[in-house]
Amino acid sequence: MPAASAHHERPPFWRNTNVLKWGVQILTLAAVVAAFWFLVSQAKTNLDDKGIPVGYDWLNDPANIQLGEGIDTVPDTMGRALWSGMVNTLRVAVLGIIASTILGIVLGIARLSNNWLAQKIASVYVETIRNIPVLVQILLWGVIVASLPELTADPGEKRWFFASQKGISLPRVFYADGFYQFVALLLVLAIPIWFVRRYLKRKQELEGGEQHVGSVTFGLFVLAAIIAWFANPIMAWPRGVFHAIEDAWAEIPQSVMQLILTVIAVAGAAWWIKRFLDSRRTPAGLAKLIDDDYFRMIFAVVGALAFVFVVWVLWPGLSSWIINSGSDFWGWLGDKFGGDRGSRPLDGMRPTVTEGGRFVNYAPTGWTLTPAFAALFFGLTFYTASFIAEIVRGGIMAVPQGQNEAAAALGLSRGQALRKVVLPQAFRIVMPPLGNQYLNITKNSSLGIAVAFSEVVQVGQTLYNKNNQTLAMYSIFMVFFLVCSLTISGVVNYINNKLKIVER
Amino acid sequence: MTTTNSMTDVHNGLTDELRARNDIIECRGVDKWFGDFQALRGVDLLVKDREVMVVLGPSGSGKSTLIRCINRLEVHQGGDIIVDGVELTNDLRNIDKIRSEVGMVFQQFNLFPHLTVLDNITLAPIWVRKKAKKEAEQKAHELLERVGIPEQANKFPGQLSGGQQQRVAIARSLAMEPRVMLFDEPTSALDPEMISEVLDVMKDLANGGMTMICVTHEMGFAREVADRIVFMEDGRVVEIGTPNQFFTDPKSDRTKLFLSQIL
Repeated sequence: MPAASAHHERPPFWRNTNVLKWGVQILTLAAVVAAFWFLVSQAKTNLDDKGIPVGYDWLNDPANIQLGEGIDTVPDTMGRALWSGMVNTLRVAVLGIIASTILGIVLGIARLSNNWLAQKIASVYVETIRNIPVLVQILLWGVIVASLPELTADPGEKRWFFASQKGISLPRVFYADGFYQFVALLLVLAIPIWFVRRYLKRKQELEGGEQHVGSVTFGLFVLAAIIAWFANPIMAWPRGVFHAIEDAWAEIPQSVMQLILTVIAVAGAAWWIKRFLDSRRTPAGLAKLIDDDYFRMIFAVVGALAFVFVVWVLWPGLSSWIINSGSDFWGWLGDKFGGDRGSRPLDGMRPTVTEGGRFVNYAPTGWTLTPAFAALFFGLTFYTASFIAEIVRGGIMAVPQGQNEAAAALGLSRGQALRKVVLPQAFRIVMPPLGNQYLNITKNSSLGIAVAFSEVVQVGQTLYNKNNQTLAMYSIFMVFFLVCSLTISGVVNYINNKLKIVER
Repeated sequence: MTTTNSMTDVHNGLTDELRARNDIIECRGVDKWFGDFQALRGVDLLVKDREVMVVLGPSGSGKSTLIRCINRLEVHQGGDIIVDGVELTNDLRNIDKIRSEVGMVFQQFNLFPHLTVLDNITLAPIWVRKKAKKEAEQKAHELLERVGIPEQANKFPGQLSGGQQQRVAIARSLAMEPRVMLFDEPTSALDPEMISEVLDVMKDLANGGMTMICVTHEMGFAREVADRIVFMEDGRVVEIGTPNQFFTDPKSDRTKLFLSQIL
């Protein structure tokens, strides 16, 4: 029947690729969830039989441990101890990311340089360092720091720089009472500066000539910073405002928060579906939706309903948690304000030595890299920098030679060609693998356990050796590293999309 | 190596009018090696002010190498190259001076893909000539008008056709207000229907009195526009002459063979 076959006939569902695709995915998801559920419940039963109840209540138990360093070295609770460990992990990861990026870019460019010496040094560095396991390097740095001289200063002695077995100590600059007021005042003053800048830019576009946009903006900003440095107490008033918000927030009833979350979930799903339908709209009207499209919309609705179910039935405590921590946040912010006359934004101190004799140590007046931190930081940074150097080199080499030639033929200097033509294109190529290296630094920071650095895994192991909450602890590790990794890849993907070269 | 016979007399084919003008490019016995391979063998060449010179020859004959030596994208190892009275040496100041006075158009366009058409054109005037942005943009719009694509200013190179990209590349070179334009097979990477739009721009430029050296395989263009034609083989200049001389009465056997193969 040729006439009939001209019409679109719906295939039976067992031959419909859309149905099959979604069916397989849903089945796989269900199987994974079921397997996971089975394993967890088995482990829970087994642990229950041994008298070890699985849960997270122990987070509020007293910790009774001392950490080598961190925001809280003698934490009250186990939760606080873990938090302190997480901050240490983030500290070494963020500093490692910054330092290895700078070192890696320098090495990568040096490897391509025409300078024979620079090129050889960079090559030897990369080929050596990237081929030695990072754990060995971290341990080696631990040995190097441990071989520094003993700390033999008199108690109370101040110096600009100490390097000893106890670590490397430098002067420290820290936020003082007025810091948040200073920043707030600077932001307020930035508004008129922004208008001046816009005015000058317009003037330059309309009238031509040199209007010194950059230098005027910079000068005004420096002036604003000087004013804000001394006048910061006039921004003390937000204290009251933030504390009022804190009180108001705490008054929100749980049911109202549940309602708000419900509205957000439902509105989010509706917004997603609307956007999705808009994307299917052509100038000729709404395109015909296929099964695949319906599945997606159904999934959005199911997801929203599942969230509503969680909010009202499964975990009503979520809402009160949001209320409490929101209120805490405003209170915390409010406390940052209210410094009186003479409060300074920043303050500095030199490192001091305490307790002469046997238990000689640095007082926390300076900025001290403890031996453990130094070993982990140097190990991670130097190791990862060798990979970043190769990525940068590859990125620059991937820019066609014709780009350099065109820049040279136009009379751009080598430096200008690098900055204006090559690097912007290399950056685009380099970004995704660079993100991988950032993830690696964050994950490899757990090797700090080898030099007894108080990062989250080390702290966690100490804790579960006390209370046997291995399973719960590992779930916390996993969630923590997952959140770190997703944040990094989110940022990298965002930048990547921004840099995409427009074609067609 | 600098054996010159009467065929490659640099004054061949010069009309009296051309002869009276200044030399703007002077090559004397230029040698160039790539490793063991000698790409240029004692090339002598004289280009007069506002002259249009077309360089022909089989592939691998050193045509591109010659013009790349003229703005020092390649470094010559023997002989002298003098551009507008400035000799090409290792002196950075001379190199910069010559590069900003000699524009170059490449076979592969080599536009900067991360910049819009307008930014491609204004980049060098702003950073090398230190022009005001507004002035540079105004000039860029004029040039885009001149090459026939004023409406593409805010697009990216990837959004343009090959012919449009090559016209942007020409506008980009012209923005530096060069005294000499070098064209390195500007139409070889283009679809046939786009070749003419690029050649039209080049003809327009030639009629406007620009000094040009074109490496090309477009015989029609060579016959119509060139003041003189240079024929090269194996890194040597084999013959120089007016288009009429060259196409109707070639002197060397090699030129005759080349012409019999392409015509």
